[in-house]
Amino acid sequence: MQQVVNGILVVNTETIPGKIITETMGVVSGSTVRAKNVGKDIFAGLKNIVGGELTQYTELLQESRNEAVGRMVADAMSIGATAVVNVRFATSAITAGAAELFAYGTAVKYE
Amino acid sequence: MKTSIANVGLFSLLTIMAFVAFSLNVVAQGGTGEEEGLPLVLIFLLPFILLSLFGIVWMILWPAMFLWGAAFSGKKVERMHEEANQRRNSLRNRMGREILSSIDGGYRTSVSNAGLVHANGVFGPSHWHLMIGFFNNLIGGSVTVFQQVISAGRAEVMQRLREQAEAEGWDEVINVRIDTASMTPQSSNSRNTVRGVEIYAYGTGIKYE
Repeated sequence: MQQVVNGILVVNTETIPGKIITETMGVVSGSTVRAKNVGKDIFAGLKNIVGGELTQYTELLQESRNEAVGRMVADAMSIGATAVVNVRFATSAITAGAAELFAYGTAVKYE
Repeated sequence: MKTSIANVGLFSLLTIMAFVAFSLNVVAQGGTGEEEGLPLVLIFLLPFILLSLFGIVWMILWPAMFLWGAAFSGKKVERMHEEANQRRNSLRNRMGREILSSIDGGYRTSVSNAGLVHANGVFGPSHWHLMIGFFNNLIGGSVTVFQQVISAGRAEVMQRLREQAEAEGWDEVINVRIDTASMTPQSSNSRNTVRGVEIYAYGTGIKYE
């Protein structure tokens, strides 16, 4: 179970199930823009002709989302929170090969 | 994507031929100090040579893959959907219940642990489907080919979320949200981009005591 990222609990519910929130500490966020190399872009272009899943882009977005969550958690750690609740994600494609991932949530203290 | 890259390929092929002819001509005339100029020119032209090779391969490959997609992509999408449903049923039988729910408070009180679970996938219609979709668009009504691709992708991603939750040891996933984002940016030239839709499902996994 990797539910705890660097000692910080991350959930997308408004409360933490089984815990009591004692203090809210404001909104924390993390974002990242990542791209794959040209070779993988070309391969994805070829795969696009026959349709189906574009595994390269699935990987790309998964990695960048993990990174965005990591930065959000680092932000929460820097202000001394112990959990991030109500996490949301936003995605925007800047060009075909690059994507911006944005994760935000409310930093809280729980007991 | 096809036309532009093929054009670039042809253009650079012509450029290479012109340059090679020019430099051979210079060498043949026996210009002083031009002997080591030839490899240098080739090194500078290497990217163009590679690009032109890619353009040629693409021109041959595209029609073949297009026909392949026309023949098999519809069946492939259906098979993906069926397979996702089968995995879903087998997991439901194994766990004894459906573990995803989109409500916030659907858990019992004795929860020992909680954390984020997420899964994603990028799915695109084939070029054949895009062509059918284009004609479908002219007539209007529901564009079933795109709808099939996206619903198959969504079934697959939700199944991945269930499997991820099972692998990480959660008993249940609450507050599940499903996002759909286009991989194709609105502003770019739509001919040159990969058409795909990203489906992203996330929720809070909870563990009972």
